[in-house]
Amino acid sequence: MTLEVKNLVKVFDNKKVLNNISFKVESGQTLGVVGFSGSGKSTLLKIISGILPKDEGEIIYPKESDIAMAFQYSALFDFLNVYDNISFPLVERRDLRGKYTKEEISKIVSEKLKMVGLEGIEDKFPSELSGGMQKRVGFARAIVTNPQIILYDEPTAGLDPVTSTMIEDYIVQLKKELNASCVVVTHQLSTIKRAVDYVIMLYQGNIVFNGSVAELLQGRNEYARQFVSASIQGPMNIATK
Amino acid sequence: MFELNKTLTYQGFLLLWGQIKEFLITLGLIGSDFSRVLAYTLSFKVNFKEVIEQSKRFAFDSLPISLTIVGMTSAIIAMQLAPELARQGGVDYIGTLSALVMVRELSAVMSGFAIISMVGSSFASELASMSVTEQINAMQVLRVDPVEYLIVPRFIAGALFMPVVFVIAGTFGLVCSGVVSHITAEVSLLNYVTSLWHGLYIRDIFIALLKSSFFGGTIALISCSCGYSTRGGAKEVGLATTKAVVWSFLAIAMWDFIFASIFYL
Repeated sequence: MTLEVKNLVKVFDNKKVLNNISFKVESGQTLGVVGFSGSGKSTLLKIISGILPKDEGEIIYPKESDIAMAFQYSALFDFLNVYDNISFPLVERRDLRGKYTKEEISKIVSEKLKMVGLEGIEDKFPSELSGGMQKRVGFARAIVTNPQIILYDEPTAGLDPVTSTMIEDYIVQLKKELNASCVVVTHQLSTIKRAVDYVIMLYQGNIVFNGSVAELLQGRNEYARQFVSASIQGPMNIATK
Repeated sequence: MFELNKTLTYQGFLLLWGQIKEFLITLGLIGSDFSRVLAYTLSFKVNFKEVIEQSKRFAFDSLPISLTIVGMTSAIIAMQLAPELARQGGVDYIGTLSALVMVRELSAVMSGFAIISMVGSSFASELASMSVTEQINAMQVLRVDPVEYLIVPRFIAGALFMPVVFVIAGTFGLVCSGVVSHITAEVSLLNYVTSLWHGLYIRDIFIALLKSSFFGGTIALISCSCGYSTRGGAKEVGLATTKAVVWSFLAIAMWDFIFASIFYL
């Protein structure tokens, strides 16, 4: 399943936060989206996932495909336990309601929890889990319908380096197991190096770099160089407004 | 040089315009949510499991405070009225007056206030927290309509179970009124019940039940709508809850006026 974004434009308060954004992500590939805070990365994910409407452009993917999203702060339903969180779309989604028996749902939930390295925590509530575990439960919930397109919003933000590595490994593993097209919004170079195939960099709503991870790290592009070297000097200024 | 934008009148006008704009936006959001809730309800696309869950909150969580408020109010009214009526030879009217006041007005309105503080505020803060922590966005991405899952069951629970709270709290209020009348004005319970019977009209009871249903649905809708549209952080969650409570109080007063004008003018 291919995800294609063509000439996407989003305007907030007469300001273009995304300006003619185009890219393509093939099955089994992961696109990394990097850029300064406020460059439009999360807005891009929200538009692809259908949370926000687009102003112009096209988002093309097969109709039968599900889009899943793993949120920055997991966005687990705090009034439901882990089991109910993961089974939520299977139980509540109109087109899936009644499609699965209780036993089948239980089996799917266990299987997805196993995929993210968590077992036996079905009865726990999100508040009883660590940040890393919450992220993984969020992943399990996102992939419960075997989506072909998976979006990750800052998957390793706020996590320690070891847990970040574990999360990055799960991103790679889930992509392989589901043969999905993935988009990862991140600030972390480690995530780009370990979990991403190629990268686009956004600055003030425009794509200023588009290339492989190796090209990003080589720093021939002045924007890529500034980002990788974490330098204040360069073509990009930190947004003050 | 005279600068218009620095004058007090101009600043006052801006403040007023801001308030009017805010009022119209909130009204629009509530209206838009109501149309979607109505579409789901009328097409019977209702999550009955959630309706039962929310009904428990409406019926049971608010009952202790509803009973306390309605009971205390009716006791206070009886305390003021009964001795005075007894002095003027109106003992036979104490029950009748209590029934009229409780059934037509106080029971529904006081229960409504109790439900706003107990259930409405909790609906608003719950949905606002869900909104600012992206749980509502997550629901959308999982292709479950948050209006269908969160607002419709609460609206139906409110419309169905507020009348139940009204009946229980109203009955309790009349009992309290009878006991206080007996203590303060030595009205026999038989006399009170006979007098009460004369003040109870089937029409009044039906109107009050309908009014309670409108109150319940409105409280749930406004509270959910204010919470659902929240953006920002902790401060906005607090503001949304306050807004839900204030708007619900205003809506109750407005419905009460409309019902009184239609049925008793």
